[in-house]
Amino acid sequence: MRDVIVIGAGGGGPVVAKELAAKGLDVLLLEAGPRHAKPREEWSTFEEDANNPLTGYFRLGPTDRSKPAWYREWPQNSFVWQLSGVGGTTQHFYGNYPRAYPGVFAGYEGADRNEYDVNHRFPFSYGEMVPYFEWVEAIMPVQTAAMGTKEQLFFKGAETMGLPVQTTKTTVKASYRPQENAILQPGGTAGRTADKNLLNYPQATGCTFCGYCFQGCMRPKGAPRNQYAKRSTDNSYVPMALTAEVWSRGGKPAELIADAYVTRVHTETRQGVLTASGVTWRDNVTGDEHREDARVVVMSGGCTENPRLWFNSGLPNPNGWVGRGYTDHFFDWMIGSFDDYTGNPKGVGSSARLDYPPYGGLENVGLPPALNAFAGTLSDSGIRGQYKNGRGQTGPWDGPAGRVMGPELKELVAGGIDKLLTVLVITDDDVEAQNRVTTSALPADENGPIPKVTFQQRKRTKRTLKNREFMARKAAELLRGAGAKKVYRIDWAPLILHVQSSMRMGASEHNSVLDPTGETRAVKGLFVADNSALSNGLGGPNPTLTSQALATRTAENIFTKYFGGDPWVRTSAPVVSTDPRISVRLGELGL
Amino acid sequence: MAEPRNLSRRVFLARIGVLGAALGGGGLLTRGLLNPADAATNPLLPPAVDLVRPVLAALARDTLNGLTAFALPGPDQYSRTQRASSSTPGALDAGATDFMINALDNFVPFPDALAQPISAALVTGLADSGVNLPGLEVLPAELRSLDQAFAAVLQSDEAIPLSFPIAGLLNLMATQVNPAAVNGPHLSPFARLTYAEKARAFELIEKTDSDLVALLDVQFPEPLKASVSGLLKFVGGALIEFATFGAYSEYGVLDRSTKTLRRRPVGWTLTGYQPDGPVEGWDDFIGYYQGRKEVHD
Ligand SMILES: Cc1cc2nc3c(=O)[nH]c(=O)nc-3n(C[C@H](O)[C@H](O)[C@H](O)COP(=O)(O)OP(=O)(O)OC[C@H]3O[C@@H](n4cnc5c(N)ncnc54)[C@H](O)[C@@H]3O)c2cc1C
Repeated sequence: MRDVIVIGAGGGGPVVAKELAAKGLDVLLLEAGPRHAKPREEWSTFEEDANNPLTGYFRLGPTDRSKPAWYREWPQNSFVWQLSGVGGTTQHFYGNYPRAYPGVFAGYEGADRNEYDVNHRFPFSYGEMVPYFEWVEAIMPVQTAAMGTKEQLFFKGAETMGLPVQTTKTTVKASYRPQENAILQPGGTAGRTADKNLLNYPQATGCTFCGYCFQGCMRPKGAPRNQYAKRSTDNSYVPMALTAEVWSRGGKPAELIADAYVTRVHTETRQGVLTASGVTWRDNVTGDEHREDARVVVMSGGCTENPRLWFNSGLPNPNGWVGRGYTDHFFDWMIGSFDDYTGNPKGVGSSARLDYPPYGGLENVGLPPALNAFAGTLSDSGIRGQYKNGRGQTGPWDGPAGRVMGPELKELVAGGIDKLLTVLVITDDDVEAQNRVTTSALPADENGPIPKVTFQQRKRTKRTLKNREFMARKAAELLRGAGAKKVYRIDWAPLILHVQSSMRMGASEHNSVLDPTGETRAVKGLFVADNSALSNGLGGPNPTLTSQALATRTAENIFTKYFGGDPWVRTSAPVVSTDPRISVRLGELGL
Repeated sequence: MAEPRNLSRRVFLARIGVLGAALGGGGLLTRGLLNPADAATNPLLPPAVDLVRPVLAALARDTLNGLTAFALPGPDQYSRTQRASSSTPGALDAGATDFMINALDNFVPFPDALAQPISAALVTGLADSGVNLPGLEVLPAELRSLDQAFAAVLQSDEAIPLSFPIAGLLNLMATQVNPAAVNGPHLSPFARLTYAEKARAFELIEKTDSDLVALLDVQFPEPLKASVSGLLKFVGGALIEFATFGAYSEYGVLDRSTKTLRRRPVGWTLTGYQPDGPVEGWDDFIGYYQGRKEVHD
């Protein structure tokens, strides 16, 4: 019998595991995918090795790469990019850590208050969230991003748009700025040389500008795991959870088991109340099933997998909202081509952004060749110059929206991939019941019936569609301002990687799965702590900071309600995840 | 009754490419090999099933050559046929067809419950949707033995490699766009299309209505039926995206055991990506915007 079992070691689960391990609880962290304990041996810098979604080391599947990935049903042209493994989808993320816009929280009184997704706000105020934001920002730590050539160019474009520079953590109006990133700023030789021999830790610290965020961060070479530049949870929260006894008085290290696929959450009725009692997981390697009980179970499998686990466990869904209200920022992709060097594939994937509440935002995103090619060909608008698939929007970009592929793509990159500047268009999208996870009618895999992710991209709310068009125009304006000689709009088919709100927390029991503490309404002792718990799409900011802040708040609620403890975030100081005590202990553990 | 059925079966086999690949002008099986009279009298000939299997694999490869050349044209024959070629290396030089075949046949965990009815549809598929195909002067006897061998392959215990039904889908669409593509250079109808015709084939696959599902006339069991048109839309997009990803990736030159490259990948050459190979870092750090290293509320 454990105190707490956490299902999933991605962006959210390790936060709860770390916080409760620090309080001395007995925490078991179960992760469906691999544990990359030796990245220098297991990883590389190659897109085919890392990012091939079927065979790469970053995929949704078991450790054994000769076995197929886990198949999911997407009944539309789309791509749901979730990873299994310790670190989850943060393994290949960019560490962009903006806060959610204040307008998505209860009690917001700004002049634009009616222009957000007003029916799906967080059930508490922005002010209540701030200490949790600050807590996570200090732990990661979150720092102002260093600027490379591609950022300089992005700012050059932003400077032409008549917007102010944001110099605070909180976004209050349309503005641009360097990202606040969960990436350690470059120190020593980092960012200042391309000479391999000069880039060993500790001569180099923090981000070396290698450009391999998407292939996993294992730099600077020779640094302890918790001092790698990018603060994916495998480099930050997980090391803290596993070493809780050395940095927290009374802490007890969490136990982590990888390749452990949870197939069922168990419940029992206690005094007439349906209560979580434990889980069953399946060992990917042996196929053996294990069962363990716990006082509290936390689902942190992500927006697609949590609803699946819920359905497969036969848990009640009285208002039908399990899996519904999935938001994805209805992204789009714009490519600017330039005469001069842009530095696009170098440095952190993204270090510059433009926020535009209540419409969404923009950020630069540099990609290596194959992912760049993928990004240019994922479209709901056919192939430029050939067919439009019923769409092909025109606007301040060149020609109709659509895939840049074949001869056109070849010509576009022939000048050099470092003569492109690519911009991610982020939409403040509404929570909609129709965008959802259900159980697929396709055959089950070894872990049970599989999830089906439905997005009705063409039938989204008027506000969502309008916001996307608005931000696409802003992106074109920015690229032109930066000096792009040509601007392409792809009109992405849903690329679902900012995932939110499929098990949403809400004030109303009619359209939420979680109550305002993070506990499920239907099953006591069962909490959700990851992106699926978010109440909405945050207005457009990248979700992980807000998700982790909320998970921290949920951990406090678990500790006070079920273990008789006191909250700590407002009364104590956080330990930073780069703390040398953690490095030393990781060394002792061979990690 | 027998003759119209034979004809529409012949049309179907021609449209998915099997007929041409096996028996057409450049066909891989000489007609004699499949002639039952020959087979009966020549004990040295392998059973037709074993003859057909490599034909199907070759057909799939040829079709996917047509696809990858569409994704990234180069100086190859497939690019020339589509009348969009280029003097610099393309997908075929990058090994993108192998990338697709390996992915489809070994790694896409395509559910049997879908593969089965698709295979069944291929075994029994008829096509008389008003598309007139030129040059189908195959002898009924040969057709029957080809068809029997084909059916036997599809019904055998060995799983059908997914590349084959995918190729069948592309060829079916290819002959919808241009019926004359049943004959010509290469083995597959899809590879015979021009670039614009290939785009048109994808337009049909991506179209939101269920024409294609009706055309395939696959008898999917409920409740799978409802999944099929969505799945096809996904497949249409994914074929383009993955072929392009593969063409620009290191697939063809990556030594997996040592995690090193045998040569510079085509995608890197085309894009000028990291001219001196993988790095530990770059000297691209300029400073902090407006000199600000931290912000606070
Ligand atoms: C390319 C890319 C770039 C991104 N960049 C950013 C960025 O810069 N900033 C940002 O904020 N966000 C970014 N994101 C999004 C970010 O990755 C997610 O916000 C974050 O990972 C979500 O955390 P999560 O815990 O909800 O889900 P995940 O990180 O997906 O973790 C879920 C984990 O649970 C495991 N799991 C699932 N089901 C089970 C089960 N039944 N049993 C056991 N384990 C299970 C999974 O294997 C996985 O490891 C990016 C995403 C992508 C794809």
